[in-house]
Amino acid sequence: MASAPSKLYADDVSLLVVLLDTNPFFWSSSPLPFSKFISHVLAFLNTTLRLHQLNQVVVIATGYNCCDYIYDSSSATNQSSGTGMMPAFCSNLLEKLDKFVTRDEQLEKGGQEGGIASSLLSGSLSMALCYIQRIFRSGPLHPHPRILCLHGSPDGPEQYVAIMNAIFSAQRSMVPIDSCYIGAQNSAFLQQASYITGGVYLKPQILDGLFQYLSTVYATDLHSRGSLQLPKSVGVDFRASCFCHKRTIDMGYICSVCLSIFCMHHKKCSTCGSVFGQAQSDVASTSNKRKTPDT
Amino acid sequence: MPQVRIIARNFMDMVAALPAMKLDHLYQNAFICEAILRSLPPLAKKYVIQMCYIEETIPSKSLEEWVLPDGLSKHRVAIDRLLQLRIFSESFDRSTGTSYRLNPTFQENLQKLITYGAVLPREPMPSSVTARLPSLQELENYAMQKWECFLLQLINSAQAEKMTNISPSMMRIFQRGLLTQRDKEAPRLTESGFQFLLMDTNAQLWYIIREYISNSEEIGVDPADLISFMLELSFHETGQAYNMNTLDEIQRSTIKDLADLGLVKLQQGRKESWFIPTKLATNLSVSLTDSSSRKEGYVMVETNFRLYAYSTSKLHSEILRLFSRVEYQLPNLLVGAITKESLYNAFENGITSEQIISFLQQNAHPRIAERTPSVPENVMDQIRLWETDLNRIEMTPAHFYDEFPSRDVFEAACDFARESGGLLWEDSKKMRLVVNTEVHLQMREHLRRQK
Repeated sequence: MASAPSKLYADDVSLLVVLLDTNPFFWSSSPLPFSKFISHVLAFLNTTLRLHQLNQVVVIATGYNCCDYIYDSSSATNQSSGTGMMPAFCSNLLEKLDKFVTRDEQLEKGGQEGGIASSLLSGSLSMALCYIQRIFRSGPLHPHPRILCLHGSPDGPEQYVAIMNAIFSAQRSMVPIDSCYIGAQNSAFLQQASYITGGVYLKPQILDGLFQYLSTVYATDLHSRGSLQLPKSVGVDFRASCFCHKRTIDMGYICSVCLSIFCMHHKKCSTCGSVFGQAQSDVASTSNKRKTPDT
Repeated sequence: MPQVRIIARNFMDMVAALPAMKLDHLYQNAFICEAILRSLPPLAKKYVIQMCYIEETIPSKSLEEWVLPDGLSKHRVAIDRLLQLRIFSESFDRSTGTSYRLNPTFQENLQKLITYGAVLPREPMPSSVTARLPSLQELENYAMQKWECFLLQLINSAQAEKMTNISPSMMRIFQRGLLTQRDKEAPRLTESGFQFLLMDTNAQLWYIIREYISNSEEIGVDPADLISFMLELSFHETGQAYNMNTLDEIQRSTIKDLADLGLVKLQQGRKESWFIPTKLATNLSVSLTDSSSRKEGYVMVETNFRLYAYSTSKLHSEILRLFSRVEYQLPNLLVGAITKESLYNAFENGITSEQIISFLQQNAHPRIAERTPSVPENVMDQIRLWETDLNRIEMTPAHFYDEFPSRDVFEAACDFARESGGLLWEDSKKMRLVVNTEVHLQMREHLRRQK
């Protein structure tokens, strides 16, 4: 299935899908208040829309319990005029965001234990890719798509498989995933996502200057990236999560048939059902190290 | 299509050619800042955005650090453009080298635009006043009809059924450069006139607008005002009504001319009158960078060089007649053939094969446009071959030397010409040689030294 687009608009027309982390557990403990964060992001979105009349921006909120589209510039009626206080699209977006957060809260069942819970990155990534696939198929002319994850919550190891699948599908349709990580520690998922898809991973040092980071690095269209040097991540955390307990592991067991990863020895693969032989000795069989993603 | 770019760039050159004071004045309008920003090359856009909130000078070195070796030429183009438009101002310091700073007016407006959005100087009128506005489809038909009518009149005043209200003197200004008229003969299209017809609508529009602006300069209207009004107009919303009272005197007379071109539709209510921008107007700022708005095509070309055009438009048939032999003309269909004779005719008029091919590709019927290539390869190749048939002779300006005093001098001269890469022809028997004009001066020096 070749999804590489055949005809495109002018080189620098972009479709930017922004995944916005709205996890309340993260933002309550973040040094950068959410309101400040959102004002940086809105300015950035506005900039992107101003750069080209055909540029398109889609915003997907990544919540704790659900994800949803909260803004799509192609369906917005009025582009240019505003009330004078802020661009017209912002009020629209904020209203939708407000509704989303309330709904996300209602779905919350309680019972969150220890640490900051992760948000549903796998869900919003899949939604973004679905949207992009629809654009690919919509007609002969479409903008260059890219995804930008504005994320702060820690990785949820239980989403490992879903996220990796989304990453590989993005890689196949040649959609770069940029990620801007606002949380405390680096995110292994996003590092891998950007590394594999050829996007940019960056962890801003000064959160107050978020707009400058966004406009300097992430506003660059795919065409210009060919002639510019964007920040490269120094090291990428390639650690995988095991399929049995969803723990992030350094070493583990890999099914020789379907490449599923386990943190301990099993008699049978839980994914494909292959029966494993007896491990010769526990020490010898841990030679299967971490799984490095190919290409 | 290369022509589009040339025309678009010319327009921006026109903006860039404005005196510094005028340019700074232009940048006080946020919409113009936005339109100019959109017209910039991709890299230049990035630089502007990057420096939008930096109020100090940036050394050019730190900008160059970002550029990969492959991108250096693009980087230079971008910087040149920014300097030309006075968006960047350059300063030189011995310790840090060249550094740039964003034009403060431009920067301020851009910041406002990003954080607050921009407000048009006029609001759409409430629907209670305007009653029923034309639908978008009606508006587009209206615009296309107006525009075609204008074009027909432009190329062939006799053919047009309905005359537009454009004054004959204005029309003559548009025709300048596109038509030539010898005494008492019917006016004929010039080379650029033919090329004009094969361009797409946006490119044609910009050509006309440019002529219009440079003409109004002659009658004493400030081109900067017109440019700013046109660019502002392109940010109005298609299909909404805007009150005429919000315009000043010059703008009001301009908008009447624009209505004749199909850019706006004028309507009269009981008390007030208003204008409704059409797609042509709102596309103005898009077409500055590229022509991405596509119309539905109507032409099919078969491998046997037959051409079918499903169109009722007189203009279309006029255009197709430029390079094909029309065989049948039915109410909604035109059947023609691309022949050697018809193409030679076109080439004589200064149309190139690439223009014909890109015209056929751009106006391909939707059913055909899905295929690649949309024009059969053998037809494309043949069109190009027929053109190269006409270009067998290549002209090079040259100088002819003879009557050399001795064979030594002649041979030395030959060697010299060969080394400098300008020897075109030599005849050693009669001691004559032909040298490229570029080398002529050095050659003369060389011969003088020999003496």
